[in-house]
Amino acid sequence: MGKATGFMEYSRTENPYRDARERLKDFDDLHLSQPADARRCQAGRCMDCGVPFCQSDFGCPLHNLIPEWNDLLYQDQEKEALERLLLTAPFPEFTGRVCPALCEKACNLADNGVTNRDNELYLIETGFANGWIQPRIPAVHTGKKIAVVGSGPAGLAAADLLNQLGHTVTVMERADRPGGLLMYGIPNMKLPKEIIVRRIHLMEAEGISFLLNTSATPDLLHAYDAVLLCCGSRKPRSLQVERMDADGKYFAVDYLTAATQSVLSGTAPAVTAQGKHVVVVGGGDTGNDCVGTALRQGCQSVVQLEMMPKAPENRPAGNPWPTWPRILRTDYGQVEAISLQGSDPRVYETTVKSIQVNTENRITAMETVRLQKQPDGKLTPMPGTEQTLPCDLMLIAAGFIGCEEETLSRFSLSADARGRLLPKDGSHHLEGKLFSAGDMRNGQSLVVRALADGRSAAKEIHDWLRGRKG
Amino acid sequence: MSYGSISQEAHECMAQAMNHLGGKSNSGEGGELPERYGTSLNSAIKQVASGRFGVTREYLLSAQEIQIKMAQGAKPGEGGHLPGAKVTDSVAKTRCSTPGISLISPPPHHDIYSIEDLAELIYDLQCANEQAKITVKLVSSAGVGTIASGVAKAGAGGILISGGEGGTGAAPMSSVHHAGLPWEIGLAEAHQVLCRNRLRQKVTLETDGKLMTGHDVMVALLLGAEEFGFATAPLITMGCRMMRVCHLGTCPFGIATQNPELRKRFIGKPEYVERFMLFIAEQMRRIMAKLGARTVNELVGRSDLLKMKPDAKLDLSDLIGFARNTHFQPDAKHDFHLSERTDARLFQDHVQLMTTDRAFGTMLKGERHIQAQGCGGQSFGAFLPKGQQITLYGVANDYLGKGLSGGTIAVCPPVDSVWKPENTLIGNVALYGATSGQAFIAGMAGERFAVRNSGVWAVVEGVGDHGCEYMTGGRVAVLGTVGDNFAAGMSGGIAWVLDEKDDLQDRMNPGHVKIYTVTSNQAGELQRLLQMHELATGSKKAKEILAHFDAYLSKFKAVISDEYLSFLKGA
Repeated sequence: MGKATGFMEYSRTENPYRDARERLKDFDDLHLSQPADARRCQAGRCMDCGVPFCQSDFGCPLHNLIPEWNDLLYQDQEKEALERLLLTAPFPEFTGRVCPALCEKACNLADNGVTNRDNELYLIETGFANGWIQPRIPAVHTGKKIAVVGSGPAGLAAADLLNQLGHTVTVMERADRPGGLLMYGIPNMKLPKEIIVRRIHLMEAEGISFLLNTSATPDLLHAYDAVLLCCGSRKPRSLQVERMDADGKYFAVDYLTAATQSVLSGTAPAVTAQGKHVVVVGGGDTGNDCVGTALRQGCQSVVQLEMMPKAPENRPAGNPWPTWPRILRTDYGQVEAISLQGSDPRVYETTVKSIQVNTENRITAMETVRLQKQPDGKLTPMPGTEQTLPCDLMLIAAGFIGCEEETLSRFSLSADARGRLLPKDGSHHLEGKLFSAGDMRNGQSLVVRALADGRSAAKEIHDWLRGRKG
Repeated sequence: MSYGSISQEAHECMAQAMNHLGGKSNSGEGGELPERYGTSLNSAIKQVASGRFGVTREYLLSAQEIQIKMAQGAKPGEGGHLPGAKVTDSVAKTRCSTPGISLISPPPHHDIYSIEDLAELIYDLQCANEQAKITVKLVSSAGVGTIASGVAKAGAGGILISGGEGGTGAAPMSSVHHAGLPWEIGLAEAHQVLCRNRLRQKVTLETDGKLMTGHDVMVALLLGAEEFGFATAPLITMGCRMMRVCHLGTCPFGIATQNPELRKRFIGKPEYVERFMLFIAEQMRRIMAKLGARTVNELVGRSDLLKMKPDAKLDLSDLIGFARNTHFQPDAKHDFHLSERTDARLFQDHVQLMTTDRAFGTMLKGERHIQAQGCGGQSFGAFLPKGQQITLYGVANDYLGKGLSGGTIAVCPPVDSVWKPENTLIGNVALYGATSGQAFIAGMAGERFAVRNSGVWAVVEGVGDHGCEYMTGGRVAVLGTVGDNFAAGMSGGIAWVLDEKDDLQDRMNPGHVKIYTVTSNQAGELQRLLQMHELATGSKKAKEILAHFDAYLSKFKAVISDEYLSFLKGA
C-alpha cells in the first residue's frame, strides 16, 4: 500500500490547468504537470483496499491494477509501476488525458479519490522520457492475417493486442490520419495529436500496418483470416426542427474535425467560429469541446443549450458511491467561457424550437423554448417561454445513435434497435470471420470502454483462430 | 470483534442494535467499558479468551451469556494480536493493560490443557455468574463432534462451531486463505455426534463464519444449529468496505480504528444493523414457508430437507449424515448443584476445606473475611471481588486466584506442619488473568505464577518455570528462586526478584524485559507490599527482609519491559 496514513496526510491534488485566458490563445495542452515528489505523495494516498473498487466493474473497465502501481510509484519504483500499468492499459497516454476516471469516483476515498489518472499519465510520460517504451516485437508469428477496420481506440487496442499475440495486423482507416475520434473527435488541447502520432509510430515499429484513406470493402478483406469492425457509432442525433438544411448548421464532430485539421495543417479551417454567435446544442463533453474550440477560434459569443435540468452539486440520493456521480461539472470550455463572457454558457432545460434563416438560407437566429419535465419523465415545451438567440453557427452535439447505414450496407449487416452490432450471445463474433468491437458494438461510450472492448475482441478472435481447424 | 479491534462507536452500535432486536451482541475478548453495563449498550455475550483482557467480576456479572473462546474460526491455532497503535487510553483501561503496548492473546488458555480443565473453567464461570449461560466457542474441524460432546458433558449451556470463512481484515492472509474449515462440516458433525450421544438437547448449538443471507442461516438450521452468529455482514451495514487494513488502525470508515479523526467518519447506525437482521429473518421466513414449517425448532437438524445441486461436482451427503430433529431443551440443562456448595451456605467466618471444594469463595456474598483451613481445591478464590478476603492455612491446587478481581487471598503453610520453605504451597497457574486485588503466598508457587496478571499486587516466596508470563500490569515480588523462562512475553507491570543466588539473568526470558536496579520509588512500594505480606501471612522471610530492608534491597532486581519503562517515564 502506498502509505498507510497517506490518505490522512495528503489532500487530493489534481494536475493544474493552465490559466484560462492564457490557454485560450492556442490549441496546446490544457494541463500542467506536477513534480515527481508531489506525484509520489498522491500515489501514497492509495490505501491498497482489500476490495479495490477502483478495479471493479464500478471503476476501471480495463481493470487496471491501480493499487499495485500506485504503491510502486510511491516506493519510487517508477519503471516497475509502469510495467504493472501496461499489463492491462494499452495506451495510458490517451486515458491519462481523456479518461473521466471512473476509478477515482469508485475509490474508497469517495469524493477525494486518489488521482489515478494523473498518476497514470505521469508513469507513461516518464516511461517515454526515459526511453523505457520501446517497440515490443512479437517473438512468434502465427501467420494469421487480421484486418481491423477503424483506427479509433477500440481498433487500436485490438490491433495492439492481436499483434502482440503474433498475428499479422492491418488497420484500415478512411480518414487521412489514424486515431478515429481520438484524432478528430477530441480537440488538440485535450489530447495533443503528436501523442497519437507517437503511439502510431510505435505500433508500426511493432509490425502493424496502417492503411489510411481506405474504405474497407468485403473484396478488400477477402485475404484476411479475421476482420474486426471498429467503425464507431458515428451517426449523429439530429434535431426535430425545420430548415435543418440551413447553412451554418454543423454536427459537432464535423466541426471539431475541421478545427483539428486546421491546427495540424496550419491552414484556415473549413468551418470557423471566428466572429460568430455560436450556439452549441447539447450539454455533454462534446458540446464542451465545441465551446472550447469556438472560443479559441475567436467567436463573438457562445451559448450551450442543455435539455436536462442543472445537475445537483452533490450526489443525489439514489446515486450513491461507487457509481458514477451525476453532479454538476464545469469543464475547461465552460470555465474559459466564464472567464471571457462572465457567465456560464450553459442554459438548462432549454431546446431549439425553430431556426431563422436569411434569403441565402443561412442561419441568423434561433428561437429557444424552456422544457418542463412531465410526471411520466418526458420533457415538453412550455408555451410562452420562447426566446430568440442570435446565431450564425449552430453546432449539434446531441450524441450518436448508432453506426452509419452506409457501413452496415457495405457489409450487408443489420444493427439492433439501438444501432449497435451487438451479437445476441454477448460475444464479438458477428458472422463468418466478422467481429465487432467498441462503440459500433456497444453504442457511444468512453475511450476506456472502447479500449477494454477492443482487447476483449482481440482475445476472442485469438481463441477463435486457434480453435478453428486447418 | 473486540473493543480495541473495532472502535467504541462500532462496538456500541452493534450492541444497541442487537439489544433492541432481542438478539445478543458479543463483546469479543477485549472487555467492555463498565459504563455500558446494564444499559442498552451492554453486550449480552461476554467473551473470555486466552488473553483474559478486562475479564473482571463486574464484566462477568453483566453477561447473559459467557462465551469461552477456545479458538477463532478464521485463524485456528493463533491468538489475537492488537497492535500498540490501537491500544489507546480507553482501550487499555478496558483491557486492564498499558496504552500503546501491543497485546497478544496466547494461542492456548493457560488454565485449559485438557477437557477437565475446560470443565473447571465452565464451572468457575458459572459460580461467578449463576444466571449466565456458559458457552464454548469451538472451531470447525474433523473430530469437533468429540470435542463438542466433551464440552456438553462438562456442563456448558451452548456450543458454537465457528467456520473458517469469517474473520476481519486483521487476520493474516495466510490464515484467511489456508486455515480453517467451513462451518458446514463442523456443524454437521457436531450435531450428529451430540445426537448419537444423547447430549444434543443439553446444549444450544450455534454457528458462525460468513453467514451473509437468510439462505445461509437456513442451511445452518437444517444442519443442526439453532443460533447464528454474524460479524462481517453487520459491519458492512455500518459502512465497512472490506479495506483489510484492520491491523493498521487506519480504517477510513471509523470501524477498525481508534484514531479520533477517523472515528468521526463512522456513519453506522443501529437501525442499519437492525434492518439487515430483519431482512435475514424475512428471507428465512419465506424459505420456511416454502418448507411448510412454523418454527425454527422444528427444522433444527432436518438435513433431509437439503437438496443436492444438480450441477454439484462433489457429493457431501456422507458429511451431512442422518437427519434428526433434536434441539435444546431447557429441562435437560446441566445442573451444577451450586446451592450445595460450601461457600453458598457459609455463615461462619471459619471453614474447613477439602480438595473437592472447587472455586471456593467465588459464590460468597457481601463483604467477608474468611479463615479457611485444609486443602483449597482448584480455582481457589477465582474472580474474588473487592471487599472479600480469604486467608487459607493450608495448601491450594491449581488456578488459585484465577481472574482475581479486587479481592485479597493469603495462603500460609498449615499450622502445626513440618513445613520447609522449598515445599510448594500452591499449584500451577495462580492469578491467571487476574485484574486487581492482592495475593500473599507465604511459600513456593508452581509454574506460570501470575501469568497474564494485569493488575494484582502479589508476593510469593519462590516460583516455578514461566513465572510472570505475558504479564501486562500489577506488581509481583518473588522472595526466592524463580524457575526458567521467567517474564516471557511480559509487556507491563514490574516483577521484583530477590536474587540471592544471582542467577536471574540466566533464568529470565530476555525477549521483552531487562533487569534494572530497584529505584527509590519502587523501594517504597516494595517495602509496603512486604509489610502487607507479613501482616497477612506472618511470613518469616518477609519479617527477616523488613528487619534488614536496606541490606536486602541491593539483592532485589526489578524486571521491566522496555515499553512499560517508557510508559512509566511518560506517566
